[in-house]
Amino acid sequence: MRALVVEDDATIADFVARGLREASFAVDEAADGEAGLAAAREQPYDVAIVDLMLPKRDGLSLIEALRSGGVTTPVLILSARRSVDDRVRGLQAGGDDYLTKPFAFAELLARVRALVRRASRSPEPTSLSFHGLVLDLLSRRVTRDGAPIDLRPREFALLEYLLRNPGRVVSKTMILSHVWEYNFDPQTNIVDVLVSRLREKIDKPFEQKLLHTVRGVGYVLRE
Amino acid sequence: MSSANETPAPAPERFGRTFALRIALWYATLFVLGSIAIIFLTYYLTSASLAQRDRQIINAKLGEYASAYSRGGIDGLAATVRAEQSTAPERLFVRVVDRGAEAIVLSNPEGWDPSTLETGSLRLLDGTLVVVGKSTEAREDLLARFRAALGLVTLLIVVIALTGGVVVTRSATQPIRRLTEAFRRVIRTGRVDARAAVAVEAGSNDALDELTTLFNAMLEKIEGLVTAMRGALDNVSHDLRTPLTRLRGTAEMALAGAPDLDRYREALADCVEESDRVLVMLNTLMDISEAESGTMQLQREPVQLADVVDRAVALYREVADAKGVALTVPAGATSPAATMVNGDRTRLEQVAANLIDNAIKYTPAGGRVEVATTEADGRAVIRVTDTGAGIPAEELPRIWERLFRGDRSRTERGLGLGLSLVKAIAEAHGGTVHVRSEPGRGSDFEVRLPHITPM
Repeated sequence: MRALVVEDDATIADFVARGLREASFAVDEAADGEAGLAAAREQPYDVAIVDLMLPKRDGLSLIEALRSGGVTTPVLILSARRSVDDRVRGLQAGGDDYLTKPFAFAELLARVRALVRRASRSPEPTSLSFHGLVLDLLSRRVTRDGAPIDLRPREFALLEYLLRNPGRVVSKTMILSHVWEYNFDPQTNIVDVLVSRLREKIDKPFEQKLLHTVRGVGYVLRE
Repeated sequence: MSSANETPAPAPERFGRTFALRIALWYATLFVLGSIAIIFLTYYLTSASLAQRDRQIINAKLGEYASAYSRGGIDGLAATVRAEQSTAPERLFVRVVDRGAEAIVLSNPEGWDPSTLETGSLRLLDGTLVVVGKSTEAREDLLARFRAALGLVTLLIVVIALTGGVVVTRSATQPIRRLTEAFRRVIRTGRVDARAAVAVEAGSNDALDELTTLFNAMLEKIEGLVTAMRGALDNVSHDLRTPLTRLRGTAEMALAGAPDLDRYREALADCVEESDRVLVMLNTLMDISEAESGTMQLQREPVQLADVVDRAVALYREVADAKGVALTVPAGATSPAATMVNGDRTRLEQVAANLIDNAIKYTPAGGRVEVATTEADGRAVIRVTDTGAGIPAEELPRIWERLFRGDRSRTERGLGLGLSLVKAIAEAHGGTVHVRSEPGRGSDFEVRLPHITPM
């Protein structure tokens, strides 16, 4: 997977690139709009992450130039502005997703993966599994090491989301928007409550714990 | 900065001046041209009618002489002329030329100068030519005096036109100059509390006064927005200081201590959580400020409050269960039409969520939180009732304030912004918030919104 990061702030570009490399992306960086446009035209990237406020050529115009040149690389827009208008303008210009600064890297990674997946259209699996934990998407049954586990709908949705991102940290915001389709943070312990209920059912009776809390960042399914 | 501020400043002034001057000049020119045309016409008509009168006199004389000639021949004519020469007040010049082209001058041969005479001639039956001349001297004299008078009048008209033009345009452009002055003051000082004076005389309700009134209204609006934004900025910068101090302190303490990986991890996690809190706080404060100042962008659409409440309740279902609080939505007694509102779905969900969050927080295990949509005073209502701790009477008026946290709420997590946001969003929708509470028995929160009847 090749990713292009067009961001003029060196610190942000650095941690985004580093994080993507850790997630086994091959990353190129560009510090201004012209360089970004040149790079994106030259090579086929699987995804581009483009800041809106860029020197020489702003992000919107970069995306428009790419699209009018027939480049279909999925673009994730980064912006410090959070108004609905800016989001709409970014998507109209040809961006595929929009993330407001400051953001959790876990969320950026999840969105980047979603864009790549959407572009490659891999077949939808019928069941998800992780170390003996199996979730059947058709019968909506969950088992661990063969033992059935009875989950309530929200718990099922949360587990499904975690199983779709094994080994990756998902933030509370991401869980809120996937499990409840809520796009604002109600600043409450809703997610903690749901996670501890799920943990109660899938981890407590077993020796090996799978669902871990990464303090300050989110939750992750790992050995 | 300075060039941007000062360069445009003289322009409106010059514009005001040249504009008034141009109007005055146009007015004066038209006035003078019109007057001169009238004067010329008068002069022309006068001189033409004087000339016509002379010609009538000459023609009458010619007729008289012709009949005298036909009666008494050349001698009879001479006698008539001579008789007239001695009696008539104004002497005429008469000349008779016979067929042989011999001039028989009958009167004043010495004054015969055709260039100063108005002449008329008649050829008699036998071919004799009679010429009568009348001096134009008196007429020219009269016209000359007339011209002099007219010249004076013209001069007077020019003077009147110019002064009148200047005076009239000055008073007509007075509102423009006041506006210009006010504009310059605003640009120069950056203060928007300046106002342009409006003429107060009755009946002076013209376009310029309207412009001035609109200008003032615009300044009023800008001043309101600027004040609101300044206030919001002050609040935000003040409110962010505390969490930023915590953030900095945590990092500093970790760095100051002995190197210890676990301690670093702990501090870093604290920092991430604290900065998330700062971000949420910043967003919420911005939302409140925007809602309060009327700049919040509401994506309005017809929204059924019952749906809003259902979603918010679903969000808190697990939390309520975990805490042992019964979260219920009573079967609606109100018709669905009464709880349709024209509003921003997400914002209204935020309102319901914040109220429910609040209620669950302050309701102990075994308690009850009831979320209902109803109708009151012709408005759609979201009502959240709890059997929780209640709010002391002295704290009631303050619970809507930003960052106010009552004695009881200090132990709970939260930013102290939830209810402020509820109030701000409700009011941005044209709604109101109400609370009744009895310490020890519970609270009853209501958000009332203007409802629409769906098509």
